[in-house]
Amino acid sequence: MEAYTTDEPIYALATAFAPSALSVIRTSGDDCIQMISRIFSSKKRLMDAKSKTLVHGYLETLEGERIDEVVLSVYRKGQGYTGEEAVEISAHGSLSGLKRIFRALEEVGFRKAKRGEFTFRAFMHGRMDLTQAEAVEEIISSKSELSQAKALDRLEGRLRSRLEEYREKLIYILSSLEVQLDYAEDEIPEDWIFPEDDVDEMILGLERLLSSYDSSRLYREGAKIVLAGSTNAGKSSLFNLLMKENRAIVSSIPGTTRDYIEAWSNIRGIPVRLFDTAGLRESEDEVESEGIKRSEKLMDEADLILFLVDPLDPKLPEKKRGNMIVIYSKSDIEKRDGLSISSETGDGIEELFDKIEDFLSKGATELDEIVIDSERQKEDIASTLETLRTVRDLRRDTSVDVYALYFQSALETIGAITGEVTNEELLDTLFSKFCVGK
Amino acid sequence: MKDYDIIVIGGGHAGIEAASAAARQGFSTLMITQSIDAIGRLSCNPAIGGLAKGNLVREIDALGGEMGRLIDMSQIQFRMLNKSRGPAVQAPRAQADKFTYSRNAKELMEHTKNLELFMDTVVDLLTEDGKIIGVVTERGWKISSRAVVLTTGTFMEGRIFIGEYDAPCGRLGEMAAQGLGKALREKGFDVGRMKTGTPARVAASSLDFDEMEIQPGDEEIVPFSFMNDEIDRPQRNCYITYTNEETHKIIRENMHRSPLYGGKIVGKGPRYCPSIEDKVVRFPDRERHQIFVEPEGINTEEMYLNGLSSSLPEEVQRKFMRTLPGLRHCEIMRPAYAVEYDYLNPQELLPSLESKHLENLFIAGQTNGTSGYEEAAAQGLMAGLNAGLKLRGEKPLILSRTEAYIGVLIDDLVTKGTKEPYRMFTSRAEYRLSLRHDNADQRLTRKAYEKGACDKERLERLEEKLIAMECVRELVKSYKERGKNGLALLKEPEITMDYISEHVEKLKEYPSQIRSEVELDIKYSGYLKRQEMEVERFMKNESILIPDDFDYDTLEGLSTESREKLKSIRPHSVGQAQRISGVRVSDIALLMMGLKSNRRAKESEDGSPE
Repeated sequence: MEAYTTDEPIYALATAFAPSALSVIRTSGDDCIQMISRIFSSKKRLMDAKSKTLVHGYLETLEGERIDEVVLSVYRKGQGYTGEEAVEISAHGSLSGLKRIFRALEEVGFRKAKRGEFTFRAFMHGRMDLTQAEAVEEIISSKSELSQAKALDRLEGRLRSRLEEYREKLIYILSSLEVQLDYAEDEIPEDWIFPEDDVDEMILGLERLLSSYDSSRLYREGAKIVLAGSTNAGKSSLFNLLMKENRAIVSSIPGTTRDYIEAWSNIRGIPVRLFDTAGLRESEDEVESEGIKRSEKLMDEADLILFLVDPLDPKLPEKKRGNMIVIYSKSDIEKRDGLSISSETGDGIEELFDKIEDFLSKGATELDEIVIDSERQKEDIASTLETLRTVRDLRRDTSVDVYALYFQSALETIGAITGEVTNEELLDTLFSKFCVGK
Repeated sequence: MKDYDIIVIGGGHAGIEAASAAARQGFSTLMITQSIDAIGRLSCNPAIGGLAKGNLVREIDALGGEMGRLIDMSQIQFRMLNKSRGPAVQAPRAQADKFTYSRNAKELMEHTKNLELFMDTVVDLLTEDGKIIGVVTERGWKISSRAVVLTTGTFMEGRIFIGEYDAPCGRLGEMAAQGLGKALREKGFDVGRMKTGTPARVAASSLDFDEMEIQPGDEEIVPFSFMNDEIDRPQRNCYITYTNEETHKIIRENMHRSPLYGGKIVGKGPRYCPSIEDKVVRFPDRERHQIFVEPEGINTEEMYLNGLSSSLPEEVQRKFMRTLPGLRHCEIMRPAYAVEYDYLNPQELLPSLESKHLENLFIAGQTNGTSGYEEAAAQGLMAGLNAGLKLRGEKPLILSRTEAYIGVLIDDLVTKGTKEPYRMFTSRAEYRLSLRHDNADQRLTRKAYEKGACDKERLERLEEKLIAMECVRELVKSYKERGKNGLALLKEPEITMDYISEHVEKLKEYPSQIRSEVELDIKYSGYLKRQEMEVERFMKNESILIPDDFDYDTLEGLSTESREKLKSIRPHSVGQAQRISGVRVSDIALLMMGLKSNRRAKESEDGSPE
């Protein structure tokens, strides 16, 4: 376990560290109101502030030098996001200003929060369950607005409520089994009938949830788009255009230009990782052929390949792939049939975006579908599904104690996501639904 | 010098087991009961065992207890329940001759070495420095002892109700034990009220048996006690009849006269064993309810009406009972009644059943909020055994949820407490596939022997059985068909031990019990393996122990509710802490981190490496 703590005063920037109109800095921990009052212009007003109220004023250095005009949201213990005493600072988003605020906070005793520490504290103080905690994690790390919407959606517990539905079904099925095991044949003479419809419905639903995992991965990790084509086919121009259009950040440039360049961007709200490969051509040059090998590997792993063809020197791909869009470039010089674009004039670019969006959302779930995003949830759902499939395939003359064993274990794995089911809960259902007892 | 080592208060099913477990360990023991004639009385239904309860009886027997032998000596009908619903959850149940049962119980107590019986009522406990040192009786005796086991059943401040009538009784016609409940309240025990009920007994000669279905017993009788090979007892039938709309109408019209609905009874009754009034109210759509008519013994007229428990006035009881086929002319010998009594919150007990308030006081049975003879006996046995172990300075015997229904029972009680009379159910046991009634001896007898709870003869019988089972397994293995051996064949649903025995003559030399046990082991081996994995996961948190002196106040960030609960229950492991209702996952995470840093701090103090 990471060495997270609780109650120790911490701070973190809740918005992006980028020039913007407004930035929010969160703080949390014991005495953090008092600590901030030391660097705040209206000390008394802040100290007297009621929970969940706003206090306007100026942040200053310990020496009394003004840093920024801010609004503080005050949360007394037990009220805020983490459940601890907390202050949220809304400041102006200049980078130098933010840096000065951080320094001042550290001077009065705050330390920088570790990744996910606010969420951890919220969880530790029982402010949210595991599903919600994971969703918050994701909002923090989400790469685009769409992804954020999905995370928000889940935060509201939609995944939870779907699973809750299945959980209730399973509780009912299990209690109908348990009543047979807790009472004798002469007291409950009816035989148990396997709930084919309910089980099939759950299997279908869980299968869909599981398949949504792959499509939601695109939103979480970004779709891998590889730009390919011969040298001078216009890959770099398109790459630059996509970056410019969408204010992408070149996050890492491994290897040389003969290797490839990677950048984060987003197309129609879908986060993408763009890879500009070196020209795919035979080469005696050792460095270059190494680069080509890597490029091919990249293409194998790609979600989508944009293959650019120079209309003046048309070289079509040797190997056609299912996830490849062939694009003629330089349409301002020579326009060909098919998808034809110009990175110079922007001609055909919207059409290209349409195609990319179509392709990436093909097979992906609709936006309003529930998706699962974490490996842990995926495993639990997969194992529930596996158990239900096993139980569906059991011989129908199998005794009820064995059926109960499987339904119990399905309930446990689904409970790992939504919260545990206790024996008492089972008995409650049993007593309320079945007339039992001599 | 004390008068006795151990005093057992009460002579019911818990008291019997507690007293004999204490005496078996060689401690001078005194059983104080309000009525020596009432020792081992079956106050409610004339039967022992049932689902999960039958398993308890066999576990009690495997641990050296008395209940199995007592029912084997007095049973008048035997049935193996739920054979069709899975061999792993079937359980034995026997109708008892009530009078034979309690006479045998009394004689057994009389002839137990180191045990004396004394008729009086305990009204107070003597204490010194937070320890119990004896008891005070109604007739003024002060009797000292090193330990006390409290098993008061429904008698502590008991009150019975029949319609508008009520009286201070523990059972109809038997005085309640007054004073002790008050004394315990004053000593700071968490005392609550519970309610239970019993149906009417009617005269057999007034019944029309030809209007009812006959419910015969099984041909094959399986002894409850592992010490018995076979049972030869006269057998009796039970009968089945049903209520009807007319019955329900009478009950509904008189509901206002029930003390349950009039607010006279405050104690909570069991949902699993509702009175007929409850059933009519809660399931208005049911056209009929099944009623079992059971003999109370061989030579008695009294018949027990299982399913008709009620607290309505006697004339109403008579009226609605006479609407049932077979009961149209019934004469009531004893009316149905409800009884309300004091119970002590079992969360104030350690898993050994010793009180957290008062050292060397052990509490067992209905006093702890349970219901049922078997549940009571199981606790009585453990309380008597652990009282002895305590006096010997040894660690208590605490059974895990994974090894016995008794473990489930006691863990549930001390961890979660109970709001209604607690009854054992198979669904309470997470690992029930391995908690079969037939393997209770394999699970428990060795442990009992090591603790001095049972004699050598019992252990030797277990060893003989294990050898026989091994031989059966070898014989099964020797059988070949379709290129498979018998062990593989037995896993197929169609192949039974009987089938293999047809081909392997020698198998028939072994008792059918042994053969069926081997058969179940083999048939369930796949499922058992699956369960074993779950047991392992379960044991992980069970094995993270919490020191007795762990200071929950040093754990920052614990919710107030969790902190209070953890402090009062003082769980012995993280696993147990997790089962306390209302303790949040995040608090468990904190606790685990706290334990970890605690351990680290200790280790660095000791200078020993991690």
